[in-house]
Amino acid sequence: MATINVSKKYTVKEKTYLPAILIGMKITMKRFLQGFLLRKHDTILYPEKKRDYSDRFRGMHFISVDKNKTENCTACYLCETVCPAECIHIVADERDEDQNPYGVKKEKKPVSFDIDSLRCCFCGFCEEACPKDAIKLSTNYELAVSSREEAIYDLDHLKREMNGRSEK
Amino acid sequence: MSNTTEFEIKKPKVDLNYASEKKPVASDPSPEAKPLPKVTIDGKTYEFKPGDTIMQVAERYKVHEEIPRYCYHPGMPIAGTCRMCTVEVEKAPKLMTSCSTPAADGMVVHTRSDKVLKSRTGVMEFLLTNHPLDCPVCDKAGECELQDYNYEYGPGTSNFKEEKRVFEEATTKKLSDQVTLNMNRCVHCERCVRFTDDVTKTNDLVMVNRGWHKELEATTEAGLTNDYQGCLTDFCPVGALTWNDFRFKKRSWFLSKKPSICDRCSKGCNIEVHSDAEVVYRYVPIHNEMVNGHWMCDSGRSSYNDLMNPMRVISPLMNHQNGLHSTTLQALLGELSIQLKNASSVQLVIGTDATREEAALLKDKFPSILGKNVSVSYFNGTAGVTSSADDKKMDNLLKMKDLTPNTKGVEEQGISPLSQGEVSSDIVIVFRNGRAGIPKMKAGQKVILWGVWNHDEIKTLSSQTVLGVIAGLATIEKEGSFKNTDGIVQKFHPAIVHKGGALSAHQVVNMWKSLN
Ligand code: SF4
Ligand code: SF4
Ligand code: SF4
Ligand code: SF4
Ligand code: FES
Repeated sequence: MATINVSKKYTVKEKTYLPAILIGMKITMKRFLQGFLLRKHDTILYPEKKRDYSDRFRGMHFISVDKNKTENCTACYLCETVCPAECIHIVADERDEDQNPYGVKKEKKPVSFDIDSLRCCFCGFCEEACPKDAIKLSTNYELAVSSREEAIYDLDHLKREMNGRSEK
Repeated sequence: MSNTTEFEIKKPKVDLNYASEKKPVASDPSPEAKPLPKVTIDGKTYEFKPGDTIMQVAERYKVHEEIPRYCYHPGMPIAGTCRMCTVEVEKAPKLMTSCSTPAADGMVVHTRSDKVLKSRTGVMEFLLTNHPLDCPVCDKAGECELQDYNYEYGPGTSNFKEEKRVFEEATTKKLSDQVTLNMNRCVHCERCVRFTDDVTKTNDLVMVNRGWHKELEATTEAGLTNDYQGCLTDFCPVGALTWNDFRFKKRSWFLSKKPSICDRCSKGCNIEVHSDAEVVYRYVPIHNEMVNGHWMCDSGRSSYNDLMNPMRVISPLMNHQNGLHSTTLQALLGELSIQLKNASSVQLVIGTDATREEAALLKDKFPSILGKNVSVSYFNGTAGVTSSADDKKMDNLLKMKDLTPNTKGVEEQGISPLSQGEVSSDIVIVFRNGRAGIPKMKAGQKVILWGVWNHDEIKTLSSQTVLGVIAGLATIEKEGSFKNTDGIVQKFHPAIVHKGGALSAHQVVNMWKSLN
């Protein structure tokens, strides 16, 4: 059996360690002085300050609503069909006539619409498949939750107030 | 059994047009017959029977792609109104509708020439001028002939810039409790009108007005009244007619489709079970000329609801301190064995919805397991039906009086019917699959239930003592065969996998045997 030798012979410089420590200290000092004297930072004070992300960033989903706060989704299941993670679960039913969003008779609505964000891979295929521009991915990347149940976004959560693609 | 025809239920390859009793040419072996005339379709020559139309010849041989059609349906008279099926016939000045042009000896037909394709594109564009294209909310999407043909032949764009026609009233109009009409989607093929005129002969539907305003209406206030309304929703090529029970429940592309047999009456219509994750969403008929043609009745179509009923017993239940409690089959059978051994007499009543195999097993093998004499009889339970001799047609199409699927098959095992008040033994075992009736029993009668039961049925037995319930598989969950009212034996295989704790009769009998 052929073996691959991965051990390495160390040079004297490497064996003494000191030169490597000095190189490291030099970088640390440079950053410290840059920050201390010139006020130049590579980090931000996160919860108070937030980074700007591209408008195309794919974060937490939402469902767009019309002016009557009725969801634009017609429960066509195309997002559920295309989703590679199989994390969208829709139950559809007939839409009541008085709940018609556009004054036009629209037959179908989702009675429940759940996205399991723990399974979602944020590919954005659902957004692309949707014929109604209903499901979208916002630029919100703060997805931390304190329980698994909260990670399943239901219809009420998805219909939350949005301003463009970012939360109001 | 000499005149018995036996075959397996499967999706037929050639789904044919035999409103006209014609049989496929391939199965016509008479050697002294005159040489059959020949027609050339797309460069190949086929024999046909005089009287066939071009469409029928092409269908029979299924040798090339399907000729697109809207108005033509194999089970109905020919109308020739949609112009989708046009083909080029050499020496004919214009395109001909293949559904209504009889084939002639020496005819040369092209089904995909440039001229034909151009015509189909034109027809598609016209059909789509007023079509709402609301596929996302349309239940037909995924199995829609308008989608399919438009994908294949459609122009992709439209010259129609005007506002589309909308039937305000008939956007969602309930034609009956079972069927909803969306007139905006209709392509005016009139299959539905011809179906009620010529197949059910109930004349429920009619087209009123003309052209732009042509609209489907029910002829009476009551709307649709026939017993085969589900078929309208099967063959409507678009989502204009939809089946309320299925409406919005599932998109068609999620469904897995397996053939089985309907057990709602003694006709035994061939069906396809559409399910997803072993939950049944609908039954649709599959073509079998010898049994059901293209159709099935509405009560059969809805009968999957009984099996998907949350009240169905799907695990063994044992009587303990006057209540039925879930248990293991081993424990239940052990307990029942003791009770049956101590019983002075034991009687077995087999419902006529048992398969032939189950009936044979229960009659021949089961008594020997108990090691005692068991009197075996069958029970039908449909009002007015005791044996297969009482069965009769309820209409001109499919429905039979006997509401169980296998009365003939059970009789064939040499079992005789239970006469009224004959349940007299110490313990009676009632085996049924949810379709046969429950025999009348005296108060306090000890009874063991076996097969497909639901809790509501068990509640009706409150004055009897139910010792235990052995949960069994329903027709679509198991393998077996039925002999229908016409003496045709039909085999079937499981269409869905049972996810509960019910077992087949063979498994139960084997376990019972191993316990003793
Ligand atoms: S982003 Fe991708 S994985 Fe997540 S729900 Fe949409 S389609 Fe599914
Ligand atoms: S694709 Fe859009 S309209 Fe269709 S179910 Fe998903 S969110 Fe609703
Ligand atoms: S009938 Fe067919 S083409 Fe028309 S909306 Fe329904 S699925 Fe789409
Ligand atoms: S309702 Fe359906 S079957 Fe009837 S004419 Fe319209 S498209 Fe044809
Ligand atoms: S199918 Fe031939 S004209 Fe409609």
